[in-house]
Amino acid sequence: MGGYGDVKLLRDDGKRLDGRTVDEMRPVSIEAGVLPAADGSAMVTHGLNVAVAAVYGPMEAHPRKIQRQDRAVIDVRYNMAPFSTGDRIRPGFNRRSREISKVTAEALESVVLVERYPRSKIRVEIEILAAEAGTRCVGITAAAVALADAGIPMRDMIVGVASGKIEDTVVLDLDKAEDNYGQADLPVGILPNTGEIAFLQMDGDLSIEEFNLAMEYNFKAASEIHELMVDALKRRYERGDN
Amino acid sequence: MVELVPTLLRQELERLAAENQRIDGRGQWDSRDVSLEVDCLYNAEGSAKVVWGDTIIYAGVKFEIRTPWPDRPTQGSLMCGAELRPVAHRKYEPGPPSPESIELGRVVDRGIRESGCIDMEKLCIVPGEKVWGVMIDIHVLSDGGNIFDAAGLAAIAALRTAVVPAERFDVGEDHRLLVNGSPIMASFTRAGGRFVYDPSEEEELGGDERIHITLGDEGHLHSLQKGLRGVFTPSEFAEILAVAEQKCTKLREMVAEKEGN
Repeated sequence: MGGYGDVKLLRDDGKRLDGRTVDEMRPVSIEAGVLPAADGSAMVTHGLNVAVAAVYGPMEAHPRKIQRQDRAVIDVRYNMAPFSTGDRIRPGFNRRSREISKVTAEALESVVLVERYPRSKIRVEIEILAAEAGTRCVGITAAAVALADAGIPMRDMIVGVASGKIEDTVVLDLDKAEDNYGQADLPVGILPNTGEIAFLQMDGDLSIEEFNLAMEYNFKAASEIHELMVDALKRRYERGDN
Repeated sequence: MVELVPTLLRQELERLAAENQRIDGRGQWDSRDVSLEVDCLYNAEGSAKVVWGDTIIYAGVKFEIRTPWPDRPTQGSLMCGAELRPVAHRKYEPGPPSPESIELGRVVDRGIRESGCIDMEKLCIVPGEKVWGVMIDIHVLSDGGNIFDAAGLAAIAALRTAVVPAERFDVGEDHRLLVNGSPIMASFTRAGGRFVYDPSEEEELGGDERIHITLGDEGHLHSLQKGLRGVFTPSEFAEILAVAEQKCTKLREMVAEKEGN
């Protein structure tokens, strides 16, 4: 967290700078089956964030040392396009994207029925085309829709959402300014049907009460986004092209 | 990726070519449907999305301020790079830039650079101290064949709609990047023994050499590239060049139309 206390992020009427209430998320739209070359794919627009996910597989796991005898491994690559941020990012993996890829893979392995595909690999590619805070969550949502679009069995969907704290107030779904100057960020991956959590990170400063409220907001947002995910998949199958 | 298909596919392409047909029903010089969207990404100073058949490519333009080269104190710079990321196809694997992605970036770069559509002198802010570096990044999201033409189109459309973020760098007011002309690429692959325009994924897999032609507004050649194994005759080249002229003119009109919006 940037943690500059002197930047005003809440207006006098209690609303946020972009006019949202504290428990209101940015507009989200989801489309499934957007990449013809992939086995499954999705595009999620969340505020000004744009994330695209592609799924390839299940396929033979390479190199052989990554194979697991009893289940599939999920190979996630989270990548920010060079033009996705204010200053251009040098292409290639960095420490941040490596870490996000790792924990995202572990979250997805918690929902995909990986035991159905021993010794194989499922490739999940997450490309962030435009970044405006919260990209890892948008990426998780996109990955989940892409996995479902690829027909890969899962015990539940997984929805990426985040809440945080600005000016000592808990708010849902931080935007860029709130992320830069806020006091905490709590991104989670929620299984909307079971109510379980498969992805969790946090940085900043939250009291137990604030944490509980942030989680409450996250669950509320997850069920809203889940509806959009289901709707996107339905539209995809009504459309009917492979 | 091990290419299992080609022998059968090659035979099929030859059979089709003998009947003057293509595997997806197109005529020899027909294009697949092309759609272009500009200014579609937050944070990129210029952006474009091209959907070309099953191929989907984004291009984004970013600017940076840098110190000019000592021997060219009043000239800015242009760089165009392409990434064939694993998202785009089963056959692409993670790792350092592949020769294929380097070729793609460089061929698009040459077409734009050599057409002279960007005046490097106009990118100067303070001679000898500060110039603009313009960076075009090509991001291939779905490779359904002929990524070269789609990448070239996305790149020039992103460039032509780019806004120089001078205010953010505290060097004046934001302004449109000055771009004089629209170099456009047209690509041909030998499939079933003859050249076809706008090769599909299957035609690339079961085909031979490819030729990329970039033409400027005046119809002048600005970049040529022959790739993969195979030879061609001057008369074959003359034939595809004539096709390229028509195709490039149409695509240039498409860019101009999007810019107007």
